[in-house]
Amino acid sequence: MENKDPLQHNCDHYDGHRYSDMKCRKYGDQEVDVCIVGVGAAGGVLAYELSKAGLQVVGIEAGPFWNPQTDFASDELHSYSLAWQDTRLSDGNDALKFGHNNSGRGVGGGTVHFTAVFYRFHENDFRVKTIDGVAEDWPISYYDLEPYYQKIENDIKVSGPKSLPWGTFQGPYPYPVREPLSANSQIFQEGCEIRGIRSSVTPLAILSAPFDGRPPCTNRGFCNEGCIPNAKFSTLIQHVPKAIQQGAEILTDSMVTSILTDKKGKVTGVEFVHDGQIYRQLARVVIVSAFAIETPRLLLNSATAQYPFGLANRSGLVGKNLMVHSGHDVFAKFDEEIRLYKGTPVMAFTQDFYASDPSRGFVRGYSLNAHGNRPVALAKNLAVDGGYWGKGLREVMLDFNFYGQVSLVGEVLPREENAVSLSNEKDEYGLPRPLIHFSYSENDNRLIKDAIQKANEILSARGGKPAFVIPDTGHVMGTCRMGIDPENSVVNGFCQSHDIPNLFICDSSVFVTSSGSNPTETIMAIAARTADYLANKMRQGPLA
Amino acid sequence: MAHYSHYPNYDVLSLINEWDDHTKEIVLKRLGPFPEPQLLEEKEVKMLRLIAKHLCYDNRDDIIDWILYYVDQRLKSNIGENQRKSTTPEEKVLIREGVKAIDKATQTKYGKTFISAEISEQFEILAALQLGSAPLIPEWATIPQQDLFDKLLDMMIGAYYSHPTVWSEIGYGGPAYPRGYYRIELGWTDPWEPRRPGAAKK
Repeated sequence: MENKDPLQHNCDHYDGHRYSDMKCRKYGDQEVDVCIVGVGAAGGVLAYELSKAGLQVVGIEAGPFWNPQTDFASDELHSYSLAWQDTRLSDGNDALKFGHNNSGRGVGGGTVHFTAVFYRFHENDFRVKTIDGVAEDWPISYYDLEPYYQKIENDIKVSGPKSLPWGTFQGPYPYPVREPLSANSQIFQEGCEIRGIRSSVTPLAILSAPFDGRPPCTNRGFCNEGCIPNAKFSTLIQHVPKAIQQGAEILTDSMVTSILTDKKGKVTGVEFVHDGQIYRQLARVVIVSAFAIETPRLLLNSATAQYPFGLANRSGLVGKNLMVHSGHDVFAKFDEEIRLYKGTPVMAFTQDFYASDPSRGFVRGYSLNAHGNRPVALAKNLAVDGGYWGKGLREVMLDFNFYGQVSLVGEVLPREENAVSLSNEKDEYGLPRPLIHFSYSENDNRLIKDAIQKANEILSARGGKPAFVIPDTGHVMGTCRMGIDPENSVVNGFCQSHDIPNLFICDSSVFVTSSGSNPTETIMAIAARTADYLANKMRQGPLA
Repeated sequence: MAHYSHYPNYDVLSLINEWDDHTKEIVLKRLGPFPEPQLLEEKEVKMLRLIAKHLCYDNRDDIIDWILYYVDQRLKSNIGENQRKSTTPEEKVLIREGVKAIDKATQTKYGKTFISAEISEQFEILAALQLGSAPLIPEWATIPQQDLFDKLLDMMIGAYYSHPTVWSEIGYGGPAYPRGYYRIELGWTDPWEPRRPGAAKK
């Protein structure tokens, strides 16, 4: 069998035939209503909702239009091609890892390779400054997002418990929980029960029964690798095809390199590169939904004489206040086989340690997720982040099936020095590579220590012997935060930039705080709310 | 290097006809044969082969061949490396110059090339890299030792644990599409999954 290069930036799609978008552009030189940069979790929802509202929509995506049945494989190493692999420069005391760890490339973005954990934020997440005297309050409350949370959950038929003990929304979810539970989730729940900690089956954007031509999950566990049977939601298979049905155009393998502005300072469209050629898409409104790294990068790189520090950057906060979730993985060894590879990775969790507790010596909190794992990811993390190699690594991996795992999703507080800026190094498009600086604060580190201890208590209670802890992160947020004051935020509560009324920023960039919850549902709820606002405004006339 | 396995009778490749064609094709390519390296030169390949054996704690040439093929392909590609410190050279330079530096550091300490050094000496050099304490040579000013070590680990360990022989040894059920897993609860296995000798068929 011939060996071909296993790594390709652009993947063939539509059963192996690469579709040449540019030869049959629907709108070409025409000005459309809305141009969306990046078709991931937020961009997919925006494309669908806005085209459904009757607007002309063009989504431009740097990566390909994947076909799950022919492009995805049940293989970890292969799945790295679904990630945004472009080199980002990453510095700081706790330099972040990018790529498969957090960012997608291609239609669907990160939803193509996420664990589909689907939590709503809690009411207190939006009022951190008021409650804890740190960070900032969001300009919106939980109740502003509530109808959109409900809409998104129903649109994709989230499977989840009938009742939850935490947060404002306590169920029921549209579809029942997926059963049975994986062994790792079982031992997690048993450990919690012994310790008097409340736990629950996890709400997931993974089907427990057929819906919309898609089958229920067969527990292969390849959620992070791209779900071939389409049991797991992604905007690639859910929102984007519906958006196209509604008339939206999606241009793929096209990297947006700048946002265009006119003499009045309004945006007029974007410039993008496809196969080395430069194209333009004119639009009445531009929405940047390109991930919390590429969004500020594009805004900063679109500087003009009128906006010398980049677009939407009067506050100077574009790129600042970058947040992640601390995502340390805690392992214990059991006498019985747990087999972390079976079942979807997360099927049980607790949020008993979510809110601030003054007795702990830090503010805010975390979720603990029972978390599955596969050989390549575990071995690589053990090696690079855990320092294991040679005989030590081999011995741990030979006992792979005997480990149980709990992962934390820890709130990280925003700080201005954690930031994305433009470096002096250029990428293949001639754009400055993003330079990211990240370090944990003292509060973040105390929270991590507490969460690791709690995870170990749960695993130990069930008979596990604490084995190792691998530092990890997930979910990148902040960098273009929303707020009321234009001097202290980049966009308003509807993701509209304070400086340029027809420029919107809508993805996890607008998060004010990170919460202790996986963020995808909140990203999508914010996008649905933004779409509602924008469609209404555009019916009334030009945005001013 | 001895290899115990809890699953001596298990061969994940015996299930290959149950996998989808795309996955099957990808996994089978890891068994070789592999073309000549397209980027790496002979001496680099020899050194990387020894390094891979130490990092993975495995001497089997067929598996190491796959690792070297993977590294060569990665270094040939222009796709990007996800992230890199602003002071670290790009991975092509890091690894190729790094290999030269490892050789020089070995000569400085032991008076022999890395390839001709004793296994224990090669091991010591690698262990020192991890700690950033390899014999002092000017090259470390531009090739950060720990970044070099981590990059080699990341690539080689990733390739090693994607090899089906290794999956069989650790008892990983492997790709399960289209059939999926049904018995996922504690103590249960689908009939075709790896089982320890004598384990109850549950």
